[in-house]
Amino acid sequence: MNDDYLWDGSGEPDPEIQKLESALGKLRHNRAAPAFPEITATHVQAARRPFWQAFLFPRFAAVAAGILVIAAISFFTLRPKPNPNSGAGWDVTRVTGTPRIGRDTLGAQNATGKLGLGQMLETDSQSQANIRVEEVGEIVVDPGTRLRLPDSSSGVHRLALDRGTIHASIWAPAGEFVIDTPSAMAVDLGCAYTLHVDDSGNGVLHTTLGWVGFKLADHEAFIPAGAACSTKRKTGPGTPYFEDASPAFLAALSTFDLESSSPEDRAAVLHVVLAQSRKHDALTLWHLLTRVTEPDRGRVYDRLAHFIPAPAGVTREGILRLDRNMLDLWWNELGFGDSELWRHWERTWPDKSTKSSK
Amino acid sequence: MHCISHAGQSAADVSDDCQLVEAACQGDRSAYGLLYDRYARMVHGILLARVPLNDVDDLVHDVFLQALPRLHSLRDVTRFGAWLAAITRNRANDYHRQSVDEVELPDDLSANESGGKPTSGLDDAETASILTAVRSLPETYREPLLLRLVEGMTGPEIAERTGLTAGSVRVNLHRGMQQLREKLQARRGMTHE
Repeated sequence: MNDDYLWDGSGEPDPEIQKLESALGKLRHNRAAPAFPEITATHVQAARRPFWQAFLFPRFAAVAAGILVIAAISFFTLRPKPNPNSGAGWDVTRVTGTPRIGRDTLGAQNATGKLGLGQMLETDSQSQANIRVEEVGEIVVDPGTRLRLPDSSSGVHRLALDRGTIHASIWAPAGEFVIDTPSAMAVDLGCAYTLHVDDSGNGVLHTTLGWVGFKLADHEAFIPAGAACSTKRKTGPGTPYFEDASPAFLAALSTFDLESSSPEDRAAVLHVVLAQSRKHDALTLWHLLTRVTEPDRGRVYDRLAHFIPAPAGVTREGILRLDRNMLDLWWNELGFGDSELWRHWERTWPDKSTKSSK
Repeated sequence: MHCISHAGQSAADVSDDCQLVEAACQGDRSAYGLLYDRYARMVHGILLARVPLNDVDDLVHDVFLQALPRLHSLRDVTRFGAWLAAITRNRANDYHRQSVDEVELPDDLSANESGGKPTSGLDDAETASILTAVRSLPETYREPLLLRLVEGMTGPEIAERTGLTAGSVRVNLHRGMQQLREKLQARRGMTHE
């Protein structure tokens, strides 16, 4: 069917689409812009103006030189030690017990503190804390957790979870907030999730809203709401799954991901995974395409195509050779989120990360 | 792409998105107003795919007010649309996190939403029924479909505004429309029985 009219309004009008346009067009946005507050341009301009421009004027140069001298003297004489309760950092609030930020302990009398860059937040078995960052989101830190703040700047917010459990609700733009674990990096793509890391560095992530990307080198996983994914030190993310899948399916997948060693074992449990899968488990099947050996890929393709037919532009041959564009097109067909969001993050994150750490 | 807004140039003269962003960054509120005019429909459509209709208009304003002080963090001004779309999706997620008693979109919008917005068209049962059908589609499809059918944006415009590839938008529109036709057909069948 020609979809030119749907695409750009050209070609022969489709009566059904016209009817839909007529009915839904009543809901079109027509509200005027609100009165926007004054745009505070000072820090914006400072950030964008080339450094040397400020020195075009001699009086600025004189003032700046004076400030530099004072700053240098202050730095070398006073050298203030970082204080977790003042200055820049992420706001931490004690919920229970005695969470520690660096060497400082939060208690009933001083229930709030700041987690500064490079600092560590630790909760013992009786403690719980809450981190809230206005521009980023909120993170509940469960007992027995240790995390660090290696990086937080404009457009890049990074936590490292060494062990324990956190519950994150993130409202920063997708891709701006990541959590490093010993076995994978969790990338927020607009979501709420729980991340647990055990003492050996293995972990599991449960998404409750939106979706999360899980990545170690080229090994990646997308975890939408209602799904979970394990991760193992050195090997990275396993295969995501919906938690309401059948016990047999989950047991076989667990074996496939983490316990099997020989190709024969993996092929055997793959048979169970395919046989037990439902339409909803297309999430798992799509990920398996890149995780099985080439001889098994055709079986996974057939099972996935049985539930979600390959869309236009996706061929069996292309999937068998793991064509990235075709995999992305099929992923979009599953309805969990647009792969372009993740690809955009992949294109920009290394650049952001490098620049921010300089 | 490097954008330079020229001194003395009013916002009205600035036709390019990135020049508007640059102008807004330098304190030009009318430039931000023009960005609102260009992108409000996109924001409205994305929200309509995710939150109850009665709250959509207020949230559109919220999104623009939330984005304003963060403009300086936008490193690539040519990605303003994609950046704003991401803020919008996150605002919708945040809406659900903050809501005590609503997580899922209601099935029957005419019953749940007509009270607060009588002129919105939801007193029209057909509109409500179609909207409900669109909102029952996977997220990947309902967003471009609402931008196309409600906001009147063309496919190329959706791709340009949201920062998605034209191919991706075209496929999603096509597939979404296919599924919507099936749903509407099934509903018609049910009402005739």
